[in-house]
Amino acid sequence: MSNPGHIVTSYEQELNQLRGLMARMGGLVESQTAHAIQAILEHNPEAAQMAMEQDPEVDALEREVEARAIKMLALRAPMAQDLREIVSALKVTSDLERIGDYAANVAKRSLRLGTAGADISLGGLRNMGRLVQEGLRLAIDALGQNDKDKALDVWRSDKAVDEIYTAMFRELVTYMMEDPRNIGACTHLLFIAKNLERIGDHATNIAERVHYAVTGEMLPPARPRGGFTPEATP
Amino acid sequence: MDDRTAPRPLPGMSFQATATAGTSTSPGTARPMISTRNLDFHYGASQALKGISLDFPARQVTGLIGPSGCGKSTLLRVLNRMYDLYPGQRATGEVLLDGETIIGPHVDANRLRSRVGMVFQKPTPFPMSVESNVAFGIRLHERLGRADMAARIEDALRRVALWNEVKDRLRTSATSLSGGQQQRLCIARTIATRPEVILLDEPTSALDPISTARIEELLDELKQDFTIAIVTHNLQQAARCADRVAFFYMGELVEVDEASRLFTTPRQKRTQDYITGRFG
Repeated sequence: MSNPGHIVTSYEQELNQLRGLMARMGGLVESQTAHAIQAILEHNPEAAQMAMEQDPEVDALEREVEARAIKMLALRAPMAQDLREIVSALKVTSDLERIGDYAANVAKRSLRLGTAGADISLGGLRNMGRLVQEGLRLAIDALGQNDKDKALDVWRSDKAVDEIYTAMFRELVTYMMEDPRNIGACTHLLFIAKNLERIGDHATNIAERVHYAVTGEMLPPARPRGGFTPEATP
Repeated sequence: MDDRTAPRPLPGMSFQATATAGTSTSPGTARPMISTRNLDFHYGASQALKGISLDFPARQVTGLIGPSGCGKSTLLRVLNRMYDLYPGQRATGEVLLDGETIIGPHVDANRLRSRVGMVFQKPTPFPMSVESNVAFGIRLHERLGRADMAARIEDALRRVALWNEVKDRLRTSATSLSGGQQQRLCIARTIATRPEVILLDEPTSALDPISTARIEELLDELKQDFTIAIVTHNLQQAARCADRVAFFYMGELVEVDEASRLFTTPRQKRTQDYITGRFG
């Protein structure tokens, strides 16, 4: 935004530091998610390890963002866009932390799964991983650039992830019914798909917060959703 | 009978009962008690207000904010014609109080000031006793018996939550009260004449935080019965007290909106830059 700086320069610095922390956190969870998806698709334990090792740093950043945002609310009494940005940062940081947790979970499951599900097609998961990563990257770009249009793109695109998730759910249930020996691997894959779908949801949340911070307008509560089946939400 | 001597009931209220609380319409939709239309104001050659059209809804608090010299205090001075006291100052345009014009030579300024009371930045108790301060305004407009006067004084002091603090020293000098008590006394003096509108010009800028909180709490009570306009430099105070807030800049009304909207999502960039501390 082309806002002039604050008259109080330390306030401006604090806002910039908060933005810097959010950008770092966003970059970390993007990388964590990429490693987790790589771990599952390529049976790559090193990538899984990387995703899990990044998690404590994400958690620490969440605490730091929270502490700084609370301090600014108390000491600066922010108004208008500053207020919206700081409150949104508080919420986005919690979305990012959740994304980090889901990525770490996917990584852990990939280690447990090993090559057990080698016969099962990972095509759906590959597509889902690609879409989720794209959505997350776009959401974090929108966050860094205060871009409401990118935020809207993310918000609209989550439907595709939901549809793939529902299709995968049916596919994996079919594998399990065909051969009970698939149940272990398919259960892991189902949870992995669910975790990726949740990452998509949190990316959409981030987009909603960015849209609010920039425009002051809340997006409608019902966002575009696709292929929802009640049994598909464990 | 001269209608100035007749006790005037406040519109639609019982002075003791505040049961009408919560029945006022939502901000922005209430009937305007004061309306200005294309109001210009000049201090000699210098124009301080430029085409102000603003409604002050009945029984709501309207906050006026803006940098020093933006015209907000000038607007208050127009609303009770205080500028009349100074030569070379003139207002043009329309100002309606409950539908009646208040600009023009035929308007009785004394009567207007009994309907539109004012409280200033620094407490201005008269150098007389606490009860005489409250009685002062009433005596200008009404002739009350001793018992009625005592009841009216007690009522006004209770309404500003000062009664319990001063009931045992009603005859002592008002200047012996603390700053916060003095300011509440000035508000009691204002409401004792039963005005329709109360104008407050930075009423807490000289007070400590506790006294300020008491005045803010008081405004919340008083708006059940009075229309209130408050000028304040404290944006948090405007956010806390006002239903609607008007932002002025260089004699112009830039934006007016519900406080919750103006302080979170102002429509005008100048408002946004001012309230976030980027200019002013």
